[in-house]
Amino acid sequence: MADQGRIQQGGSQHGIARTSRVRTDDQRQRDLDRIAKYRDLEDQVRALAAAGDYTAPALFQLTSRLLRLNPEYYTTLGWVLMLDGVLEFFSFRHYSTLFHQLLVIVLGRDPARPRLPDSWEDWYNTETQDLAVIKSELAFTIPLLLESPKCYWIWSYRLWTLQQAIARLRPALARKIWEEELGLASKMLGKDRRNFHAWGYRRHVVTQLESAALQGSSMVEAEFAYTQNMIETDLSNFSAWHSRSRLIPRLLEERGAGEEARRAFLDKELTQIREALNVGPEDQSLWYYHQFLVLNLVAPEKHPAMTPGFTRDDRVAYLTREIDEIKELLEDYADVKLIYEGLFEYTVYLCRLQERQPDAGERADLAAWLAKLRQLDPMRNGRWADLEREVSLEGGNE
Amino acid sequence: MSQTFQQLPEELQLATSAHVKYIQSLDSRKDEYDYWLTEHLRLNGLYWGLTALHLLGHPDALPRAETIDFVLSCQHDSGGFGAAPGHDAHMLSTVSAVQILATIDAFDELETRGKGKAQVGKYIANLQNRETGTFAGDEWGEEDTRFLYGAFNALSLLGLLDLVDVDKAVNHIAACANFDGGYGVSPGAESHAGQIFTCVAALTIAGRQDLVDKERLGRWLSERQIAGGGLNGRPEKKEDVCYSWWVLSSLEMIGKTHWIDKDQLVAFILRCQDPERGGISDRPGDMVDVWHTVFGLAGLSLLQYPGLQPVDEVYCMPKSTTARVLGR
Repeated sequence: MADQGRIQQGGSQHGIARTSRVRTDDQRQRDLDRIAKYRDLEDQVRALAAAGDYTAPALFQLTSRLLRLNPEYYTTLGWVLMLDGVLEFFSFRHYSTLFHQLLVIVLGRDPARPRLPDSWEDWYNTETQDLAVIKSELAFTIPLLLESPKCYWIWSYRLWTLQQAIARLRPALARKIWEEELGLASKMLGKDRRNFHAWGYRRHVVTQLESAALQGSSMVEAEFAYTQNMIETDLSNFSAWHSRSRLIPRLLEERGAGEEARRAFLDKELTQIREALNVGPEDQSLWYYHQFLVLNLVAPEKHPAMTPGFTRDDRVAYLTREIDEIKELLEDYADVKLIYEGLFEYTVYLCRLQERQPDAGERADLAAWLAKLRQLDPMRNGRWADLEREVSLEGGNE
Repeated sequence: MSQTFQQLPEELQLATSAHVKYIQSLDSRKDEYDYWLTEHLRLNGLYWGLTALHLLGHPDALPRAETIDFVLSCQHDSGGFGAAPGHDAHMLSTVSAVQILATIDAFDELETRGKGKAQVGKYIANLQNRETGTFAGDEWGEEDTRFLYGAFNALSLLGLLDLVDVDKAVNHIAACANFDGGYGVSPGAESHAGQIFTCVAALTIAGRQDLVDKERLGRWLSERQIAGGGLNGRPEKKEDVCYSWWVLSSLEMIGKTHWIDKDQLVAFILRCQDPERGGISDRPGDMVDVWHTVFGLAGLSLLQYPGLQPVDEVYCMPKSTTARVLGR
C-alpha cells in the first residue's frame, strides 16, 4: 500500500499544472547529460560506501553534491540530513551505520559509549562542544522544514537531535533547547495552522517538557491557552478544536475541578462555540466541536466526561437549551444544512436520553428538517434516507 | 448506474487505452531525469501500475517474467524487500512486493527463487513493537498506523498473521480513535482520511470491525464530499483524487458508500484524467502520476464504473486476486 506522506512529497505530483510532455532534442540531451552526471556520482558514492570507509572526506563532498542535484531526497531522507546530503539508496539501515560513524567523527567520540571526563573542565568543554553540535544540527533542518513542513523524516531527525540534548546536557540546558523547540512548533503552526504533523510534533515536545528528565511539570493549562489563541485567530481551525477536546479531561482533572467548576467550564465552552456558530454556521469545524461537547452530555460513558456529576435532568436541561439556541440560528440562516443536521441529531439524542419516542411536535420537526436536508444537501440523500428509516424504526420497536 | 455514465459527455469517458499506454511507458522513461530521482519508489510504483492495469482489464500489459525477476532482485536475506536493487529493505516496499507477487500469482517463485514466504513474514513480524503493538517502517524508522496496516495486509496475504500480536496491534488502533469516529496517525492525533483507511482496513483484516463507530465515522467520511463532487481528507480542506480511495474504500468497508453522491465523484475523477496521454492527477488540469492514477481507478472500480475489474476495498488489489489468495 502507499506511503502517503512520502509519496506526496516525492513521487507524486500535487498541484502542478499539466503541461506538454514533449521535449525538444536539446531538452532531451540535457536530461541525458544530467542523468549521466547523477548516476556517475551515485556510483562513486556507492563504491565508497561499499568499501565501508565512512570517514573518507570524499564521501561527504560527493553526497553533498548528489543531494544538491536531487533536493527531493531531503523530503524522504531522514536523520542523515545533518550531512547536507546522503542518498536515499543507502536505505535506513545503512543510514544508521553511516550516521553513527559520522557522529563519531563530528562529536569526536562514540555517543553510544559516553566516557567520563577526567576533570570538570573537560566536562564543561564536552558539554559546550555537544551543545554546539546540537544547535548547529537544529539550525540545519530549519530551512528544510520551511520548505517541506509535512516531511516525516526531517521531523524525526530533529527529534533524534533533541533527544541527544536530554542524554548529553544538564537538564537546565537541555530544557532551554526544548523550550526553543516549542517556539518553533508554534511558528510552524502559525504558518500552516492545519499541519497535523506539526500538531503531533508539538504534542511530543510538550510531553518532553513535562517530563522529569527536563525537570518539567504539567503544561496542560498553557497548551489549553494555546488552543484558545489559535481558535481566536481562526475559528475554522479544526486542528485546534481537536487538540482542545483532547486536553479538557486532563485540564479539569489537574485543576481538581469540582461539580460547580465543571459546570461553569462547560457553560463557558458552550457559550464560546455558540457565539462562533452565530458567525459561521456553515463551518464543519465548529459543529464537530459542538458535537464533542454534546457527546459529553449524552454519552458520558463513551466520551471523556466533563461533567460526571450531572444528573439526567441536568443533561436534559443542557441539551434542550442547545436545541433551542440552534433553532434561533435558523432566524438568520434558513439555508444552512448543518443547522438542520444538528437539530435532527440532538433531538434524537434528547429522546434517547429521556428514553421516550419523539412526540408529535418533534416528529413534525424531524420530518421538516429532513426535508430541508434533502433539499439543501442532495449529495448525501442516501444518508438522509437511512436517518429517516432509523427514526421511524425506533417508533416501530416500541 | 451504467446508464448514467453513458450519458456523460465524451470527455468524461474513461480513456482506458491511454491509461494502459501511460503505465506501460513508465519504465521506459530512463532518458528522463525524474525517473532516476524517484528510484526510492520503484517497487511501490510497480504495485500501483500493475494494480491499475489489472483494474483496467489489461493484466498482461506488463511482462510477467520480468516483473517477477525485478521483484525478487529487490529482496534481501532478511526476507524484506528494498524499493529497488541496492536499496535496503523497508516495510512499504516489502508490502508492495507481496502484493505484486500475489496479484500475478507468483508466491511459488518466492519459494523457489526467492527467500520464501516464511522469511518475508519473519522480516515483517520483527518490525512489531511487542510492548505497544505498533509497527515501524524499518528497524530505525518511526511508528505509524500505516505500517501496522501494511504488516496486516502482507501477512494476511501470506497466511502468516499469527506471527504477530494482533490483539496488541488492535488495542493500539483503538487508542487512535477520536470522538468524531475517525482515527489519527497516533493516539491524540486529529482524524485524517488516510489514517482512517489504514485503521479500519487493519481492523477489518483482524476481524475487529466491532470497534468501529460506523454511524459517526460514516457521517464524518460522507462530509468529505464537497461541491464539485471530489473528496477531501479532513474538514475544510481541498479535494484530491487520492481521497477517492481513502474515503470511499473506508465507506465501503463500513457499508456506507450510498452516503455520498457517487455520480458526482465519478465525474470528478474522470475530469482529472489526461484523456490523450493517459494518467490521472490530483485535481483537474494538474500533472498526472501513477499514484493518483491507481487510486482514481480503484475509486472508479468501487463506484462500479462499467468495464473496470472489481477492486478489494481492504487490500487495494483486484478482488479476483484476494479471492484466490485468501480463499474467499
